[in-house]
Amino acid sequence: MNLSYLKKFYSIIFLTGVVMIAVTLLGLTFNLTEEKILEQEHSQFLAHMAKIFPDMTHFEYENDIYILYNEEGLEGYAFVASAAGYSGNIKIMVGLEDKETVKGIVIMSHTETPGIGTRILDPPFISQFEGMEIDLIKSNVDTLTGATVSSKAVIDAVSKVAREKVALLS
Amino acid sequence: MTKWLKELTKGVVVSNPIFVMALGLCPSLAVTNSLDNAVGMGAAVIFVLLCSNILVSILRTWVAGIVRIPTFIVIIATFVTMVSLVFQAYVHTLYESLGIYLPLIVVNCIILGRAEAFASKNNIGMAIADALGMGFGFLLAISMIATIREILGSGSLILFSNTLFSLPVLSDQPISLFLLPAGAFLVIGLLLAFFRRTGLIKNE
Repeated sequence: MNLSYLKKFYSIIFLTGVVMIAVTLLGLTFNLTEEKILEQEHSQFLAHMAKIFPDMTHFEYENDIYILYNEEGLEGYAFVASAAGYSGNIKIMVGLEDKETVKGIVIMSHTETPGIGTRILDPPFISQFEGMEIDLIKSNVDTLTGATVSSKAVIDAVSKVAREKVALLS
Repeated sequence: MTKWLKELTKGVVVSNPIFVMALGLCPSLAVTNSLDNAVGMGAAVIFVLLCSNILVSILRTWVAGIVRIPTFIVIIATFVTMVSLVFQAYVHTLYESLGIYLPLIVVNCIILGRAEAFASKNNIGMAIADALGMGFGFLLAISMIATIREILGSGSLILFSNTLFSLPVLSDQPISLFLLPAGAFLVIGLLLAFFRRTGLIKNE
């Protein structure tokens, strides 16, 4: 076996060693942070839900729908809809008062253009959904001038997913 | 010791990674729309740069030349993934607003550039000085860009949810161009021109 042959093997062994150490380190960090990450995501989810339903005390989860209760009884329903926005996915939490009316919506995550598409986060647009009947969303909620794609994506997704979920509920 | 100090300070002004070497422009264009993002990105880069420089410097005598770059990338990617897990666990809002640019630190040319050009040829002490200097130079540069963009683009300056100050006229009618990528190019270009003209930073 000549020396250059051994040299080739050396680089393979070296890189394998480095990768193995890297994997161990990553596994360790993942184990240490996993619980905390889930906790964070959960608490953020609950915070979004509390924005629409401030009185909510507990909820049940069934078929991707959250059935929410307050101290007196049924409070409403919530679910997550996703829309293809202007530059990426928009994740929306939709809250229903009953099987016909929307209680409110919250944009959970988005990548819209700052200052233009991000206006879908603000009251003039988002508050239009409050108390709106599901069948009237498409005809009665106005899109935003200059942010037609972003706002229309939200309107279409809320209307479509709400109908699907109501059909599942009844 | 004086050599160590020289390596430490060179990254901040004399060979500032952004304003002089024009490295790492991708994150400095993308995440400088608010000061919070810039500081978060700067902190992540300092950590990754420090860890990778130290490790590369330790391994420099054993690393096989033929797999040099893959080794550096594996080391950098490991630290970046660790940072992104920690950010996800403890500073979730920052993690979400940095988005794709946090994992993209892996291909940030400042870090690979320092590993290849400096840490793989110098001892650990020098590598630490270089990493700290370059890291703080990067942090300083992107914070500067972010401050200008945030003030012009949203009319106020917010750091860790404390409003440092706000300008009444601009916050009613912000120049949202400065929050868009085009605004980042304008700000970087004008800052570069300003530094060159005043002689604060010289061409190498």
